[in-house]
Amino acid sequence: MVGYFVSVTIFTALYALFSLGLNLQWGLTGLINFGHVAFMTIGAYVTVLLNIQGVPVIVAVAIGTVVAATLGLIIGTSTLRLREDYLAIVTIGVAELLRLIANNEQWPSPDGPIEGSFGLKDYLIPLADWDPNLWQKLIAIALLTIIAVFAMWQLWRGLKSQWKENQQIQDKSYRPRKPISLIIWGAIGTTLIVAIYINGTLALYDYYYRAGLMVLVLLVLALVYWGLEILVRSPWGRIIKAIREDEEIPRVLGKNVFWYKLQAFMLGGAIAGIAGAFYAWYLTTVYPSNFESIVTFYAWTIIILGGAGSNAGTLVGALIFSAYNEITRNLFVGGASLDALRIMIMGLIVMILMIWRPQGILGKKEELTLGK
Amino acid sequence: MTQNQQQNLLLSASGLHKRFGGITAVNNAQIDLHRGSITGLIGPNGAGKTTLFNLLSNFITPDRGEVIFDGKAINQLQSHHIAQKGMVRTFQVARVLSRLSVLENMLLAPQKQTGENFFQVWLGRKQIRKEEVENKEKAMLILESVGLAAKARDYAGALSGGQRKLLEMARVLMADPKLILLDEPAAGVNPTLIGQICEHITNWNKQGISFLIIEHNMDVIMSLCDRVWVLAEGSNLANGTPEEIQNNPEVLEAYLGVD
Ligand SMILES: Nc1ncnc2c1ncn2[C@@H]1O[C@H](COP(=O)(O)OP(=O)(O)OP(=O)(O)O)[C@@H](O)[C@H]1O
Ligand SMILES: [Mg+2]
Repeated sequence: MVGYFVSVTIFTALYALFSLGLNLQWGLTGLINFGHVAFMTIGAYVTVLLNIQGVPVIVAVAIGTVVAATLGLIIGTSTLRLREDYLAIVTIGVAELLRLIANNEQWPSPDGPIEGSFGLKDYLIPLADWDPNLWQKLIAIALLTIIAVFAMWQLWRGLKSQWKENQQIQDKSYRPRKPISLIIWGAIGTTLIVAIYINGTLALYDYYYRAGLMVLVLLVLALVYWGLEILVRSPWGRIIKAIREDEEIPRVLGKNVFWYKLQAFMLGGAIAGIAGAFYAWYLTTVYPSNFESIVTFYAWTIIILGGAGSNAGTLVGALIFSAYNEITRNLFVGGASLDALRIMIMGLIVMILMIWRPQGILGKKEELTLGK
Repeated sequence: MTQNQQQNLLLSASGLHKRFGGITAVNNAQIDLHRGSITGLIGPNGAGKTTLFNLLSNFITPDRGEVIFDGKAINQLQSHHIAQKGMVRTFQVARVLSRLSVLENMLLAPQKQTGENFFQVWLGRKQIRKEEVENKEKAMLILESVGLAAKARDYAGALSGGQRKLLEMARVLMADPKLILLDEPAAGVNPTLIGQICEHITNWNKQGISFLIIEHNMDVIMSLCDRVWVLAEGSNLANGTPEEIQNNPEVLEAYLGVD
């Protein structure tokens, strides 16, 4: 059971990471990217292929991330100056193209070249063969504790700022979130953090082979989240949000709109690239079919569920997505047709949400009623 | 023109030309503007005034023509570079960043903010905090002067049409420009407020900012401007002091509708 939850945690965290990249591009900058999985494909394949060739895993991930960002640079420079729908079309095309290349190319493996469709295996998965002694376990648990404390701090900070906003509703045209819902959110958030923490500690103590990977992905997720929160609140973040609202305004105010779009696009791509490496380690064997367009739409679902533009909302969306995924996986045991049904039901849930709460779970309702 | 006069020109555009398909929106137009002046630009609907603004700020690339701002040719520059050089514009239909607060709208404008650079966001956090405090103070002062201070923390998208005009003007001011191009600042604004806007413009002008104003409200033009340029069907019709323009028979016929 502990092992199962470790796997679910890794899956959730890597999807959260992946979606944070898209949230930066779409939720914050307004760039429509329908081929986000392309960055994940690049991140996964570059990391794995380099690692199979004997490149140390850290270096391989770093290169994978840089290559993903470079893909963002290439797509961005060619399309970001054009009308925004061009980006949507080009990204979707690039994602499919990369998957087809991954499928049809022959890739090196320890037993000589193999067909892409057979998948890549026998690459190193970080910390899978680790046999930690007591001290090392304690250090890993300490690291997990720091991450949990950080998560609690972020939760607390978010709730506090909402609370404060509630105190000053004068002169505002909208009503902030009610105190009772803040308490509920606090309770849910705390429970989840504590549950993941306890499960993680157990897995580390009685070392489960994926526990190290879990700490790693949580660490990266925490760092990326923190970095994004700093960026969003900085003048840099103000410019990208301004671009999302109306790019002519930052332009008349002397901001190089194209350059900021490119930065956001590349950074979002790099984050998805790292998520791709974790995806490969999570899967243990990567097949081109793991990188179909549906993966991009999972990320869109996550962002829309959570509330576009909100990093915290993206995390909530990823949790819900992952919970849905696990529950239905265990309920609907059966063939491919049931798999399709799961996706259909997910679409239905998103549709219902759009009607009931169009702003997403953590989105701000008042933003929907604003005039352009 | 003597050397001295030339140096006194903040903006000088000549031979500007722009066709949209079969329409010549701006036809060989010229405009000169002195440092520290408030210059008016008038003309009938569809005369090409807004298009001329677009050409000056390079939002639309002219077919031909030359624009010299502050002694340098700027036709080849991208619009954000032109803004950085100190020429900023507003839009005929006010544009605001709806889902950002009024204050954030203001804070977007200052030039060369340390925190606009991705790496400085991490390296220069102290400097950024200092600048933010300064910019916030300045923004609140300006918002105070246009009567939007109470709205500072509300969404800009929740402002009324007239308030948006005010916010747009206030925001442009935050950019510390040398020249502000205003496209119909008084349109849709109530008469008392128009009076206040005019006062603000005069005040800001005294602080050294030059203005080029498109406006259909003749009282505004006549009370504010040192010099008025008239455009009709894309070409220059006349230019002169407000009195000269008011008494120019051609202008009266083409624009003021008196014969
Ligand atoms: N982007 C465009 N594409 C095609 N035609 C345009 C474009 N912009 C303006 N025009 C045309 O150019 C002419 C001048 O338009 P412009 O907006 O400059 O007029 P204006 O003097 O600002 O008028 P108003 O006082 O009504 O604002 C009009 O005939 C208009 O139809
Ligand atoms: Mg106009």
